[in-house]
Amino acid sequence: MNPFRPGKLMSRRSMLERSGAGFGWLAAAALMSDPLSTGSRAAADPARPLAPRNPVFPARAKRVIFLFMKGGPSHVDTFDPKPLLDRDDDKPFPGEKPRVQFAPTAKLLKSPWKFKNHCRSGLPVSELFPHVAQCADDLCVLRSVHGTNAAHGGALLKLHTGSDNFVRPSMGAWVTYGLGSENENLPGFITICPTFAHGGVNNWGSAFLPAAYQGTPLGNATVPAGDATVRHIQNSRLTPAQQRTQLDLLGQMNRDHLLQAGHDAALEGRINSFELAFRMQRAMPEALELSRESEATRSLYGINDKVTENFGKQCLLARRFAERGVRFIQVTHSDPDVQWDQHGDLRKGHTKNAAEVDRPIAGLLKDLKSRGLLQDTLVLWGGEFGRTPAAQGGRDGRDHNPEGFTMWLAGGGVKPGFAYGATDDYGWFAAENKLHIHDLHATLLALLGLDHEKLTYRHAGRDFRLTDVAGHVARDIFA
Amino acid sequence: MVLKVQVAPLCLLTLAGAGLLFARLTAAAGAEFPTSQGIEFFEARIRPIFVDHCYKCHSSKEKFKGGLTLDTREGVLKGGDSGPVIHPGFPDKSRLIEAVRYKNLDFQMPPKSPLRPDQVRDLEKWVQMGAPDPRDSTPTAALGPRTRPVDLEEGKKFWAFQPINDPPLPQVESQEWIRSPIDAFILAKLEKEQIKPARGADRRALLRRATFDLTGLPPKPNEMASFLSDSSPDAFAKVVDRLLESPRYGERWGRHWMDVARYADSNGLDENVAFGNAWRYRDYVVRAFNQDKPFDQFLIEQLAGDLLPPTGSIAVKHERLTALGFLSLGPKLLAETDKVKLEMDFIDEQIETIGRAFLGVTLGCARCHDHKFDPVPTEDYYALAAIFKSTHTMDDLRTVARWHEPEIALPKELETKAAFDQLLDKTKFAVTNLIATANKRLLEELKTNSLPANPESRYPTNTLSELKTLKEQLKKLEAEAPELSSAMGVKDGTNILKTFPVHIRGSHLTLGKPVPRGVPRVMTGPAAPAFGDHQSGRLELARWLASREHPLTARVIVNRIWSWHFGRGLVDSTDNFGALGDLPSHPDLLDWLARHFIKEDWSMKAMHRLIMRSSTYQMAASKDPVAALRDPDNRLLSHFPIRRLEAEEIRDALLSVAESLDLTMGGKTIPVKNREFVFNHTSRDATTYESTRRALYLPIIRNHLYDFFEQFDYPDPAVPTGNRGATVIAPQALLMMNSELVEQVSSQLAARLLKQARLTDAERVEQISLIAYGRPPAQKELERALAFLRQLQDTNSKAKTEPGGERAQAWGALCQTFLAANEFIYLQ
Repeated sequence: MNPFRPGKLMSRRSMLERSGAGFGWLAAAALMSDPLSTGSRAAADPARPLAPRNPVFPARAKRVIFLFMKGGPSHVDTFDPKPLLDRDDDKPFPGEKPRVQFAPTAKLLKSPWKFKNHCRSGLPVSELFPHVAQCADDLCVLRSVHGTNAAHGGALLKLHTGSDNFVRPSMGAWVTYGLGSENENLPGFITICPTFAHGGVNNWGSAFLPAAYQGTPLGNATVPAGDATVRHIQNSRLTPAQQRTQLDLLGQMNRDHLLQAGHDAALEGRINSFELAFRMQRAMPEALELSRESEATRSLYGINDKVTENFGKQCLLARRFAERGVRFIQVTHSDPDVQWDQHGDLRKGHTKNAAEVDRPIAGLLKDLKSRGLLQDTLVLWGGEFGRTPAAQGGRDGRDHNPEGFTMWLAGGGVKPGFAYGATDDYGWFAAENKLHIHDLHATLLALLGLDHEKLTYRHAGRDFRLTDVAGHVARDIFA
Repeated sequence: MVLKVQVAPLCLLTLAGAGLLFARLTAAAGAEFPTSQGIEFFEARIRPIFVDHCYKCHSSKEKFKGGLTLDTREGVLKGGDSGPVIHPGFPDKSRLIEAVRYKNLDFQMPPKSPLRPDQVRDLEKWVQMGAPDPRDSTPTAALGPRTRPVDLEEGKKFWAFQPINDPPLPQVESQEWIRSPIDAFILAKLEKEQIKPARGADRRALLRRATFDLTGLPPKPNEMASFLSDSSPDAFAKVVDRLLESPRYGERWGRHWMDVARYADSNGLDENVAFGNAWRYRDYVVRAFNQDKPFDQFLIEQLAGDLLPPTGSIAVKHERLTALGFLSLGPKLLAETDKVKLEMDFIDEQIETIGRAFLGVTLGCARCHDHKFDPVPTEDYYALAAIFKSTHTMDDLRTVARWHEPEIALPKELETKAAFDQLLDKTKFAVTNLIATANKRLLEELKTNSLPANPESRYPTNTLSELKTLKEQLKKLEAEAPELSSAMGVKDGTNILKTFPVHIRGSHLTLGKPVPRGVPRVMTGPAAPAFGDHQSGRLELARWLASREHPLTARVIVNRIWSWHFGRGLVDSTDNFGALGDLPSHPDLLDWLARHFIKEDWSMKAMHRLIMRSSTYQMAASKDPVAALRDPDNRLLSHFPIRRLEAEEIRDALLSVAESLDLTMGGKTIPVKNREFVFNHTSRDATTYESTRRALYLPIIRNHLYDFFEQFDYPDPAVPTGNRGATVIAPQALLMMNSELVEQVSSQLAARLLKQARLTDAERVEQISLIAYGRPPAQKELERALAFLRQLQDTNSKAKTEPGGERAQAWGALCQTFLAANEFIYLQ
């Protein structure tokens, strides 16, 4: 990956000459290559790629918290009730099944869970999510999301990067590239306990965007949230005072070297990078200090309960990062075994998964709201696809279904207590106001005040977008 | 006449649909000569549908997706990329109607929600009426690149597609600076701008530069001493020769090529399984560089090693099969459920990689449409795709798909395997034999003709225990079955395609006209190959690429070599020589080098000697104020560019200064079985990076790179990369400050110096400087280091608990500071 596709107007070397370095610096070089003609989003100061930048439209949201349910939660069992599915249980699906399917499926399977209308909006939520149901009036349920890939890997990559057969920057990287961060001592994009499976790092990578915009992983899916940290954030041998002394010596040596080498932006940038790293060493552990939260807050997130402790901590960390100005925060729910991937054992698996996330998610929504953060924080919930209305593995499982599924948004300028789009009568295909993953991306960017067609980056001779050559903004969901 | 034509539709309209002939007549007339009723119907019912639901993506004023515009009559009749969308008079044959009916799951319009049933009926009726359309037929304004067919003759005029020139050496004033023809080309441009080239680099800097450059390692203090004391005029030439002879050379330069070959030990993408035999390709590349394999041969082996005429040598055969890893190493969507698409995706990956690696052309752009910027029509793409469609890359496309691996077992391995198979058969036979005998006896005992259920339960004890032993033996044998060595690679398919249809918009669901196998037509020079009937065409393609007349192959590789020496190519965009790439800074030099390279039989080592013996290469990195003003970008090379070490160099240099670098070469180093998951559903990481072998041998796991590599701009191993970045980010600083690796090598270096009891502290500091930077410290540096040691030992410390801990720790911290400093990782 060569982050500098050397522009014709300004080459790498000249960029080096002109820039210092910030948290991530100067790969931002290409940001400068002719912003007007390419539409690339120019960083106000290429030396500080994470410096906050104003959106191009009035923004409805300033930051994103993406609650990612790995494996593919079933929409017909959670947020998309299907009366006909109940009626026609154990009958064949009357329509045509997709041309390519992940696996053969059997007859229709009604949801084992009951739906009820909740709050003033009356949005239906199944009994799997009793706590989230209490927040129904804050949800904007997208029932017509659809993707293109029926396998986990492809679908994860598509959802996170917009592409399943090429390595492309992740949506968090695009957002951070577009808007910078409000706290330059923390990464602009943090992913809490991500999974290494199915695309792994590519799901939070920056691909050809400058490295400053890549997601910083906090632990991974095998690490309990309480132990999750950023690699190399602490020195095991030196005290902070000793390290300060060491960095002072280092600074002197580097400045002498610079005098002798002559003015060089990369050398200068590297001098600054050590100072910034030293500040990050302080900022990150402070953000991770959950013990500073009140007992009430901790129990709101379910941290005192074994079942919800882990995801509760992840969600609470997300709020702490949101407060500190981190632009894009992803929280992944991914147990070590099969996640939300219930080809069989639907009742047991979905019950367990929902129990782990329900209270923490509701806690996060309530907490954000009470702190006035929900109005400019966009919360996105969902998996890489939904599940088929037809059964698999006997009468207690469902297959992957990218043809139509549900994600929901909350906060950040979306219509509250609102359902958008619909799947067909049985929940197999998106049918009304279809929202492709590209449309979801376009809409997210629009909510953040960015134009998905203009947020481009020039690489290998082409202007790339998160939405490739597609994407429509679903303006109907804007509050 | 005119009158008749105008009248006819009026009469016929009432008969619409009555018969095919009539319908056809109606249709033709309906669209072009609409009746007032037709117009009325269009205005009342059809135009609103188009405006509300279609224009956003299909109009000459906004977008024209799929090449289709619906805002003019002409656009409607012309249709899109896959042909006409309406067949006036025949709704059932009209793609537009098919789309709005929403019955075909792969073809639905409008894409977001279906039209209302009455709207669909109106459209059907409108087409049935002959699609009357009163709208202006003015040809739409510029519809963007697609409407301009690729002009190959015009395209051929672009510099990169022109034959390689034979430029004369330019005349220069300062003849004394000229050590090599290269210098004449460089100096001529500098003199024109009145810029003086920098003085020669000092010898310490030069040795450090050359040693890292050719071997990726720092010079040893004794190598430095011997170079400094060699006053012969060819002292540096001797150094270059010594470095080129070192096996470390192939490891360093092989690694450069591995960037281009997007080398990795795992698939990445969706299903991250181990490429357990990729290392054989890696070792092949290292050997090729160390042996100075001619580049044309290197190229041909990688694309068609299996198709070369046999030499009779097994070793050569295996070497050539191993080279094919180049075609197989790409990331593949192994769980893609659409198998036809899966196949086209990896064919695309092969074409794109070949294009970027050897031609510097982004051929992949022409998969869905004519290349938007370079003269590569989509037909040329499918001409190449025909070759790879006729190539067998995968054994099985079922999830998780299985790539092909040619067997490369040595005779001895085959013997062992045969012996093993014999033993296995013998054991199997013993088992069946024992059972048969026992059953027979059982039947006799029971005096019956049919065996009871579970006969084994009735066997005598000794038979049963014998059977158990045998079965255990069999199980053990099967578990130990030797696997014959294999390498990643391809072979020719059983179905050799002579033509292959263009896939309209890249989709296998919309096939266009078939095109014969071929090569990009815009590249002038070598004649287009004639493809044999019985082979895929890879060999013909490879030979065409490696032809001495090819305008791009030699230019692209010499530019790469230049770029790996100077940190930047004469063409800055090493992987893109097309219209969006950069123009060469020294076109004549590029062509001169390309011709020279071919003349020297495509020898890489000859090219290194030529470049490194030049004054240009041996300049100091110091900038002249005039140069800084006139050529701030140093495009003209008035001084040597400062270069940051690459990820592997930094890591190897760290281990090297601690004297803990293990120089064992080659072999399998990924700790996972072939085809086993590196990560499946879980996030458990089986890979470690604790090995002290050269970084080249550390596992390259796609989607999960070693973090040290990741932070220091290691390229994305999923795509070919010609030149790496050199960013500066805070996580790199954290790594240098806090990582175990850096802490460890610092303590090792400190411990080694502390062990030498006869050294004074000042001498120890001097040693650190010599080891890390190849120079003694200045007085000021020495004093500062000693002061630092005192200060650190006086402060509170985490190491207070161990005896002597403070001293060791302080020295460790000092060593770490030297290694973290800019001078260690930036070359002058």
